[in-house]
Order: sequence, then structure tokens, then C-alpha cells
Amino acid sequence: MGMLKTESKNLANPRINGDRVAVLKSTEKRSDQWSQLLISVGETHDRQAFAKLFQHFGPLLKGFAHASRNEGWFPGLGDDLVQEVMIKVWNKAAGYNAEKASATTWIYTVARNCRIDMLRRKSNTQHLPLENEDFWHEPDEETPISLLQQKRSEDKVQSSLAQLPKEQDEILRKVYLEGKSHAEASAELGLPLGTVKSRVRLALQKMQVIVSTEAQE
Amino acid sequence: MNNTSQFHPDDTMLLEFSAGTLATAPSICVSAHLHFCSKCRAQLLRLDQVGSQLMSEAEPLELEEGTFDKVMANLDSSQQIPVKVDSQQNNYPFSVTKLLKNNLVSQTWKRLSSSVDVARFETGQEDFEVALHKICAGGKTPKHDHHGLEYTVVLKGSFSDENAVYREGDFLIRQPGDVHQPMGAQNGECICLSALSAPIKLTNPLGFLMKPWLRINPM
Repeated sequence: MGMLKTESKNLANPRINGDRVAVLKSTEKRSDQWSQLLISVGETHDRQAFAKLFQHFGPLLKGFAHASRNEGWFPGLGDDLVQEVMIKVWNKAAGYNAEKASATTWIYTVARNCRIDMLRRKSNTQHLPLENEDFWHEPDEETPISLLQQKRSEDKVQSSLAQLPKEQDEILRKVYLEGKSHAEASAELGLPLGTVKSRVRLALQKMQVIVSTEAQE
Repeated sequence: MNNTSQFHPDDTMLLEFSAGTLATAPSICVSAHLHFCSKCRAQLLRLDQVGSQLMSEAEPLELEEGTFDKVMANLDSSQQIPVKVDSQQNNYPFSVTKLLKNNLVSQTWKRLSSSVDVARFETGQEDFEVALHKICAGGKTPKHDHHGLEYTVVLKGSFSDENAVYREGDFLIRQPGDVHQPMGAQNGECICLSALSAPIKLTNPLGFLMKPWLRINPM
């Protein structure tokens, strides 16, 4: 477990010093089936792999689209979003970096950006110079967190989400799924803004997504 | 690109950014900071994991018939390979580069005071004025107060005020009531991205001469 202690990505994953492409192809890197399928789509335009991704993520994406009733929502949004997101997934799969994020996280970020942009296009007659996607161009870099750390934090998020107190779970869902700002969540729940913020922070601390307040600079 | 930033957006802002609920102007500033700060990029990834976990637990809804076929019929056999932005030529964040290319209100810098120039962006929203400010080397800006929120991200060079020195990537929030007098570093000009929610009030008795500072000018 010595590799856990080091900050260096290279030491955490000695293979990275060698052939980077070979590392990406290696099955022990990220072995969940969705990430494997997404890699196949990116590398070989694998339509069968894409179809499997579609069958799994399509209905989830539609559920995600219907969770938000923000301004601009319309009944056909769900299937429109599924189409737009999945075509983006196909087109952008070559740029998917399995070292940086799992396929689920990667597809979530595509879906989140698409949902915001679709709602804005419907509700706003003005020309918007920037799409949400434009905020998410990260510099090309070595992964900011080692894959091992990522997997541990994914597991932690997954296992602790189910154990959150109801009032914390409720607010997280409002923010992430319904797309409500903290201020909107506070108005809807009839809670002071400070209470909303602290419930969110408590939930994130339990999932070890953020560390306690003294880490704030 | 590196991890030298000393001043960061707080967890709540990053979370709202991750969830996509942060307003456009502060989002531009957060995205500019992320360009420089690997610590916040790592934090954002963890926040995205929360969102993706919630999405994967969302109630799946059956798709309309034909959605799958429509998508399959639209798959281009030639995938788009991402274009790598030449970061050596331009170390600005992507969103700022795009605004500079397409959405400058004027192609020339406007003089605000003897040491500060401004270039405003059109961003399709009216809550904030989003602009670049250029402070010349050693330049003193007028001492000013804030009526509303001001987000600032240092894009190039550095400046200082009574409290600290701010360098590339640093992310600052000024609240109403904060009075400060930024000064450009002696060794070169400083360029900052800012989003300003309300006019700045000058505390200098001759402040009225610096009229542009008083104005919010959303396009």
C-alpha cells in the first residue's frame, strides 16, 4: 500500500512512465464495464459497445432530464436530451480519458452541460455566447487524482450516499438532479440559506468529498 | 496550469458549478480559476462523482420508441478528434479565449484611469458586467468600495492590495463594503478577469472623474 502515500502520479502508477496508450488499453486500469465499452467506442468506433452504453444510460439520462423542471422544460426534453447526449458521447469518445474519470462520471458531465444548454436555449431568446460546455475545457494534463484515489472516493460516495440522513439526501438531490441553486432549494424547503449550505457541506463531508472547514483557505 | 493559486472559490461555489446551478458570470470566473488550479480540478472531480452517482440512481424512464434508432442512424463514422488548444501560444482559459475571439464589446482597450484599461465582454446575461482589466506595471487603481459582488481572477501577472499579493489563477470575491486599492506589480502589467454585479463607488473625493468605474454596463 506504499503507493497510497505518495503524491506523485508516476509513482502511484509506474506504468505511466512508459507507453501511455498501452496504459489506457490495459484492463486493470479501469475495469468497470461501462468504462471499457466507452474506451472501445473511442478507439474502434465500436457500434455494439455504443448500443450497450445506450441501453444502460439512455433511460437514466431521461430520468435525469425529467428530474429538473427548471424554466425551459418541455415534455419532449427527455428523449431530446438522450439523443443529444448519446450523439455527443459517440463523437467525443475518442477524447475520453479513463485515467481521469469513470464513464459514468464522464457521461454525467456531458449530460449536465447538455441539460443546462437545452433549458437555456428554450427559455432564453437572447443569443448566448458561451455554452455550459465551454466552462469545462480542462487543460490536458496528467490526472489530478490517481486512479486508485478516484476509485476509493467513488466507492466512498456510493456507499455513504445510501446512509445519509434524509434531509441531507433531499437537498443533494435538489441541487444535482433538480438543478436548484442553494437559494432556490432554501426557498422551496422553507429553510434559511445557511441551513441549506451546512446540510450540503455535512453530506459532502460524510462522503469525504470535502474535508472539514479548516482546509478552506 | 500548475497549482500555485493561493485563493480559491469556496466549496459551495464549486458544488454549484459542478451541479450546473451557478450563474453564467461567476461560472466564467470559476472556469478561469480551474484552468490554473489543479487542486480545485481534483475537488471538482469528486463533486462530479457525487452528481454522477445520483444520476445513476435516478429512476430510469422508458424511452420513446425510435429514439435508439434515430441515434444509431446519426452516428458519424468519422469521429471528431478533439483539437488540442496550443497552450503555449495562449495561456488563457478556454472560456476567456472564446469570449476574446467573438464577444468583445469593443476591439480596443478603453482607458478607465491613468493606469487601468478595460475590455468588456458581451455574455448574454444582465446580472454582471464581465470584463478584462489591465493594470500597468506599478499602476495604482482608484481606491474604491463595492456596491455589489465582484469576482476577480488573475490571468496574467500579479497585483497587490493592503492584504496580499494575488498571482495567476488566484480567485477573489469582494463583498459590498470592502474598500481596497489594488496596485499592479512593478515587474509587468497585470490582466484580470472580473465579473461585477453592481457599480463600484469611489471613495476618492475626486472619484467622479473616474466615471466609468461607477457604471455597470451589461450588454
